[in-house]
Amino acid sequence: MRGAAHRGSKVSFGEYGLMAMEPTWITNRQIEAARIAMTRHIKRGGKVWIRIFPDKPITSKPAETRMGKGKGNPEGWVAVVKPGRIMFELEGVTVDVAKRAMDLASAKLPIKCKFVIREEQF
Amino acid sequence: MANTTLSAHKRDGTGKGVARKLRQIGRVPAVLYGRDLESVHLSVDAHEAGLLFHAISVENTIVELAVEGEKESFQTLVREIQSHPSRGTLTHIDFLRIQKGVMIDVEVPLHLVGVPIGVKNHGGLIEQMMHELPVRCIPSKIPHSLDVDISHLDLNESLRVSDLTFGAGVEVTVEADRTICTITQPRAALVEDESEVKVAKDGDTE
Repeated sequence: MRGAAHRGSKVSFGEYGLMAMEPTWITNRQIEAARIAMTRHIKRGGKVWIRIFPDKPITSKPAETRMGKGKGNPEGWVAVVKPGRIMFELEGVTVDVAKRAMDLASAKLPIKCKFVIREEQF
Repeated sequence: MANTTLSAHKRDGTGKGVARKLRQIGRVPAVLYGRDLESVHLSVDAHEAGLLFHAISVENTIVELAVEGEKESFQTLVREIQSHPSRGTLTHIDFLRIQKGVMIDVEVPLHLVGVPIGVKNHGGLIEQMMHELPVRCIPSKIPHSLDVDISHLDLNESLRVSDLTFGAGVEVTVEADRTICTITQPRAALVEDESEVKVAKDGDTE
């Protein structure tokens, strides 16, 4: 996957964001796991924004199948993510809580991520 | 309002080749434009510009641009900063020359001050919709920031642009009914309330 994210690369809604540092496909399950990890840590209080949506269908062929015989079946949905993309945003919590919540969320994702703060961006 | 100085060199060439060479040697291509002024192609030191932009409020601070070979420095506002999406390095900067007495549009940072009643007593959450307020004024009257007291706000109350007061000569350029912030109930609390209601209903039927 070439290039960097040119849209959605700034923290726009909340105070803190989680930025992707590598290109990847992120599945709907990974997004949900990251969201749950984040919201469990912030408990009450705080608001979460999910800035990516898995709108790309992915097909795969069953195991131990010979090549040919047509395309595989739809197996899931992914979001295409490029470096620089803000995937999640948070508001209404302290910076320490936000950082820990984002760390927990990034552990559910298959790429390196970076915690970013709105005030520190140009 | 703090005035700051940035030195710039004129550049002859334009286009991606020239721009890339400049970035390789630690400079950032920039452009200076304004009313009654031909566009001037410039370059500024990337490190110096980065430090400056992190230290000031970029949208509403007047930057004195000292261009090499010019007798007087230009009073400018930074109109646009282009940066790399993930690395954050500067790619290009737009400077707008300002003139004394000519109205300009700027965005002023909004700072919320105080703990609202809805947060203190009811565990509400401050949801800030606007972080900058677009205003029109003459350069000498650009507000550094707007501190807004929100300590009187209760749960489900909001602060609108019409609730703000400004000094003379500062005109807001957005609709007066735009919401700046609102005090909402946290989502977790809402879900708990709903489950309590459901439990109560189930209890009634049994």
